[in-house]
Amino acid sequence: MEPTPLLSVRNLSKTFPGVLALDQVSLDVHAGEIVAVVGQNGSGKSTLVKVLAGVYEPDPGAHIEVRDGAGNYLTGQRAMSDLHFIHQDLGLVPELSTIENIDIGRPLRHRGLTPYPRRAEVREFSAQVAEFGGHFDVTVPVHRLTAAERTIVAIARAMDGWERPDHVLVLDEPTAALHSDEVKLLFDAVRIVAARGGAVVFISHRLDEVTSLADRVVALRDGRVVGDTPAHAVDNTGLAELIVGRRMEETRREPGPIGKTVLSVQGLSGATLDQLSLELRAGEVVGVSGLLGSGREHLCGLVFGAIPRTRGVVHVAAGAPVPPDPRASIAAGMAYVPADRHRSGVILPMNVRENLTLPALRPLRRWWGGLHAKREGAETAHWVDRIQLRPALPERAVAAFSGGNQQKVALAKWLRAGPRVLLLDEPTQGVDIGARAALYDIVGQSVAAGCAVLICSSDDKELVAFCDRVLVLRDGRVVDELSGDELTPQALLEATVAPSGAATTPSTRHRNGTAHVH
Amino acid sequence: MSTEISPQTADASDEVAARPAPPPRKRAGAGLLRTLSFRNISAVYVFVVLFVVYSFWVPETFLVWGTWTSLFDASATTALIAVGLVLPFAAGVFDLAIGAEVGLAAILVAWLLTSGEMPISQAILLTLVAGAVAGAASGLLIVRARIDSFIATLGLSSVLLAAIAWVSNGQQILNLPLEFQSLATDRHFGVTNAVLITLVVSLAIWYVLERTPLGRRVYATGSGPEAARLSGVHTTRVIVVCLIASGVVAAGAGILISSRLGVGAPTVGPSYLLPAIAAVFLGSTQFKGGRPNVWGTVIAVYVLAVGVKGLQLGGAPVWIPDLFNGAALLIAVGAARYQGRSRPRAAARKG
Ligand SMILES: Nc1ncnc2c1ncn2[C@@H]1O[C@H](COP(=O)(O)OP(=O)(O)OP(=O)(O)O)[C@@H](O)[C@H]1O
Ligand SMILES: [Mg+2]
Repeated sequence: MEPTPLLSVRNLSKTFPGVLALDQVSLDVHAGEIVAVVGQNGSGKSTLVKVLAGVYEPDPGAHIEVRDGAGNYLTGQRAMSDLHFIHQDLGLVPELSTIENIDIGRPLRHRGLTPYPRRAEVREFSAQVAEFGGHFDVTVPVHRLTAAERTIVAIARAMDGWERPDHVLVLDEPTAALHSDEVKLLFDAVRIVAARGGAVVFISHRLDEVTSLADRVVALRDGRVVGDTPAHAVDNTGLAELIVGRRMEETRREPGPIGKTVLSVQGLSGATLDQLSLELRAGEVVGVSGLLGSGREHLCGLVFGAIPRTRGVVHVAAGAPVPPDPRASIAAGMAYVPADRHRSGVILPMNVRENLTLPALRPLRRWWGGLHAKREGAETAHWVDRIQLRPALPERAVAAFSGGNQQKVALAKWLRAGPRVLLLDEPTQGVDIGARAALYDIVGQSVAAGCAVLICSSDDKELVAFCDRVLVLRDGRVVDELSGDELTPQALLEATVAPSGAATTPSTRHRNGTAHVH
Repeated sequence: MSTEISPQTADASDEVAARPAPPPRKRAGAGLLRTLSFRNISAVYVFVVLFVVYSFWVPETFLVWGTWTSLFDASATTALIAVGLVLPFAAGVFDLAIGAEVGLAAILVAWLLTSGEMPISQAILLTLVAGAVAGAASGLLIVRARIDSFIATLGLSSVLLAAIAWVSNGQQILNLPLEFQSLATDRHFGVTNAVLITLVVSLAIWYVLERTPLGRRVYATGSGPEAARLSGVHTTRVIVVCLIASGVVAAGAGILISSRLGVGAPTVGPSYLLPAIAAVFLGSTQFKGGRPNVWGTVIAVYVLAVGVKGLQLGGAPVWIPDLFNGAALLIAVGAARYQGRSRPRAAARKG
């Protein structure tokens, strides 16, 4: 009794100039089913989503059908109204508020000129984002929200106003900026969609999510479907093998020698942070975990001076206090890889070479002010090779690369500058497991050379695997610290989401004086 | 960041998705084809078409050497202004005050030479400084007062026009020293000084923008201001410096205009605004796939000039230049939008 699929894709190919992004992809998604699409960076996942969304025209010969309420199959434009998307880059209008962003998706009908019932509207939309765990001002422009909050806006919008339960929801890496606890909220929502008879296609690089949420896993490699199995039939290692095409070892970084203090932060306040202090020593990797609103998402930016601080002093090594200004921070030896890649991490229209060399152009300057083109080319080639950029085309605009490859560029441009302190905000969001290992390998080399690294991440597993110790934030303060044998994913999760009662009595184990709160 | 709306239906996504990226630059072979593609150098093809059409239409006046030298000379100031304007546009800000800056310089230098009785070099220097001050004023309005560049320079433009009327009383300033009048029209290497100056300034700005770390920072500021700031680019200073530089270049153009005309005319400046902006926009669709750039702009100026010239030779009425320039601007921008290369406009509205 094979039920008829809600969404059916046959022989879908998509060619970009010089790249075959999708190669004869076929895929069925049934009502009530959650299908995970996995694959390396650049394997064509987002392209698949964008073809479904009508952003890209597929190559001739493709067949895409969506079943409507009456059981008829629709193609082309009419099928679109039953497909709902959350794109990898969310597709929000940065200047508009949450209310406006959700509202523009709604049909106008007769209310075109009716004035807004302001109060009621604010209440309605606040409730709507609260359903997905968002508690923020729905009237401020979304570019002022954090990455995780924006994800919530996008989800609320995609799920707004469904006429029937059996629509198709497509999520392209919706969780890249969410903590595992927030992810649960989202997944509950997704499960509700499926339980009501909808179909869900979601893309993620986090294997745990795939195995816990999906009913079926479809793996892409170089644009071809290389695997289509029930989710319960694979475990993480099997999945990793399916994605990368070879066995991946799960490794933990070996702690190296730790030197003198290179970064000291005292009483840092601003945004969601409240009098936070911490210290980082040479060769040390410190993780920061915390839920949305805990301060995790603002810590790196505040230390670096990217967002205004109200209080606090930052020192690098024995130097003078570093003023809250990116250029001063860079001069002091800090580097900051922000979470918001598109706006702050890279310059999309510029090519890889120009992005890579931007933070440190001085060494490439000739005595009369000209740019040393040959040396720039050589350095670019070196880094393109080191980060395994795919495709290895340094003269191509960053915008044309897959999300994971853009992230590699955002990281590499700072590693090239040889910082003493590396502040990483969600450094591996959207990076596939193979490339993730490569990135951590590169960061690890800097650490071995004496660089201190602060990683704010919503991915507990990666914190555990890579950090010497992990600080847990809540309400803008450090409430706990885990290191050594205590640092396990389970312990970290418990510490992060501990009820607020336990939060005010931080555990006494392994207290590091610098992590105390005031 | 995404600039488009993506309701739950399907019509959009992000810059990456909706707009095909400029093709990667490659070596020789395929690279040459791409370089010669219509998309990359459409203005050159338009030029060829115009040339052929006019050659058949009005051969006895169009195909005359004198027509070309005078066209070359007459458009040199427009080219100079447009090339200066490339700087703020590359840094992502509009400069609508450029026409008024030209006008102010034209009248100021004449006034300093006559009423002020200043030596020529001193009057020129002071006028260039005035251009720098006007540029700095727009810059500070944008980065300090945080006024949108469009509004800031529009407002400043009006203030400058008032200053022009005040200095000149709405009258032409006559009796400029002969020595000053010969400044723009003297010839070296067979071309006028105005053309030489334009060439030298274009080369300098091209070098700075394309071949120096400073130019890289200018483009970074224009293409991704926040990412540039976090990469250590002093974006506010970049914007101010670009506006000062374009103010100085505009002042230089104003001086050349007065020198050519032999009088200080109070109304010349604003008429240069549209041709200059049209040239920068048109130019940004050439060579660099969406970046405002010097040679694209220079070529655009001359394509527009040839287009207008031919029509004039064919007996077209006086309103033809306005029509031609305006239509060219709209078509160029529309075509670039259609091709999915809207960046210069999007970027130019920031700041
Ligand atoms: N607009 C474009 N122009 C040219 N090539 C493109 C374009 N968009 C994507 N590509 C190429 O198509 C391939 C597939 O990209 P896609 O974004 O679908 O990868 P992905 O699987 O989503 O990767 P990631 O996990 O990093 O998000 C890549 O090689 C990419 O470089
Ligand atoms: Mg993708």
